[in-house]
Amino acid sequence: MAGPRPVAPSGDVHDLPPELFYEEVHSFEFWFQAVEGYLSGTTWGHRPDVAEAPLSDADRDRLVTALCNYCLGEMAALEGASGLIAIAPNRLAKVFLSTQVADEGRHLEVFHHRLRDLGVGDPEAEVARRASRSLLLFRRRLLELVAGKDWEAAIFAQNVILESLEFAVFRNHAQTADPVTAEVLRLVIKDERRHVGFGENELGRRLAVAPHIRARLGQTRKELDHLVFDTLAETARVLGVARDDEERLGRAYLESVERLGLGV
Amino acid sequence: MSDFLNAYSIQTWLESCPQGYLMGTEYGHGPDERELALLVENPVLHEDAIRGTVQLVVGERCALAASSGLINAAPDEASKRFLATQTLDEARHVEIFTHRLYDLGVKKQELESVIGRYANPNLVKFAEVLLEKVDGKDFVAGVVGQNVILEGMAFSVFEMMYAMNKEMNPKFAHTLSGTIADERRHVGFGENRIGSLIKEHPEKRAEIERMQKDMSYFMLATFADAFRQTQAPAELERLGIERQHADYQGSDLGVMAPEQMEHLLADTVLKEFKTRLGRIGIQYQTPAMPA
Repeated sequence: MAGPRPVAPSGDVHDLPPELFYEEVHSFEFWFQAVEGYLSGTTWGHRPDVAEAPLSDADRDRLVTALCNYCLGEMAALEGASGLIAIAPNRLAKVFLSTQVADEGRHLEVFHHRLRDLGVGDPEAEVARRASRSLLLFRRRLLELVAGKDWEAAIFAQNVILESLEFAVFRNHAQTADPVTAEVLRLVIKDERRHVGFGENELGRRLAVAPHIRARLGQTRKELDHLVFDTLAETARVLGVARDDEERLGRAYLESVERLGLGV
Repeated sequence: MSDFLNAYSIQTWLESCPQGYLMGTEYGHGPDERELALLVENPVLHEDAIRGTVQLVVGERCALAASSGLINAAPDEASKRFLATQTLDEARHVEIFTHRLYDLGVKKQELESVIGRYANPNLVKFAEVLLEKVDGKDFVAGVVGQNVILEGMAFSVFEMMYAMNKEMNPKFAHTLSGTIADERRHVGFGENRIGSLIKEHPEKRAEIERMQKDMSYFMLATFADAFRQTQAPAELERLGIERQHADYQGSDLGVMAPEQMEHLLADTVLKEFKTRLGRIGIQYQTPAMPA
């Protein structure tokens, strides 16, 4: 009998045997316990008592452009993750991706609300108006990979490349953003960390037993890298990031991809 | 539209599910609740419980595929975000009913073969009719099939099972009560969102009505198989265990024969379909009766 949730003697989930570890970390229950911890008491992605800081018109406008592109990235992630459920190879991957779908939907929702807080009346129209061309192209290519039912390439584009890009950008922005936006971003980052972990884990295991996949993923990376760097450059320009920091952002993204041994 | 969709936001979902009725549960029930020993020990009741739970897993897998598949077909962001919460709800249902199979003694490595052995072929056909619409990115037909027909059926089935298990098997009843709360939300979204879309696309009515008729037929055939296959009432009688009174739709399930329960369930679901479809401007089609 399966009984209650598995617990390692040390209390650390990483000490569980591999089969139980994956059953646990890809489950709804695991997600449920995690978000209960950090989303409890928040409304639209932040604690209600975090005070707004005054923004100049120029700063507000830059923030709106950044948030519009975050919405676009999250929309791509929502559509990508939901499409991946149909081609996921097993129940655990399907359940994990379902938790990711809800996370991406939440991110889209909280960024929309932030836009409304900043006085944007029709966030969907504003996103369409300010959308980055390179991010739009990235979204199109990601959805082509999902529609083509290429599990490895699609999960690489979605959970490694896109999530690593978002992780790097959000972490950087959270350091300089106004208090409300910073808190929204910090809570989004907690989710992204889980998504990147799933992607690296899933692909790492597959690469270990089928190294020929590496060449195909390398090709996918080559195809998407310039879109990622164009997006990073655009975001850095919008946020007024210094040249050194922009390079640091690029390096943070590259480190995630290279952890899988997919350096160029 | 956006005002009503606010009731289906992820914020509302977080407040009502993880921070509401699911708080303190583990795989949908209290951490200390256990499966009824009789269901595990008696071979007839054990097989009956496994067969019944497999149908729940099959239905929820279909719902997961449909709700996630509809996200990319949704015409607006708010609907996509609602479907994101529904996708997670359905994945949770797949997980908790799969865990019930484990609790009943099914081994992890045998899961798929057990599901393959017991899955009702008519339920599989019911799912195929719906998933064909989803694969075709037909949002309007997909939401009617998923959130009105499939969820409407699940809602009534779960309510009946809940009534039967409330006293006898609190662990399973607890698992069901959380899913009933989810299904209520899903049905509500289907009715609210789709009514306006049907008005915009009246040409879709005939195709949707055909789908409803086909799905209803396979649903009735599934019910017929399920109630004819069950040996539980006879086995309880053989063991000298008195069935417990259980009120469902004003009838006492504890004194009804399986075929009477089948008719009660079928009538309840079809009446609900008629009402709900009428609300969204779809003419209910009477399905053929399975032999």
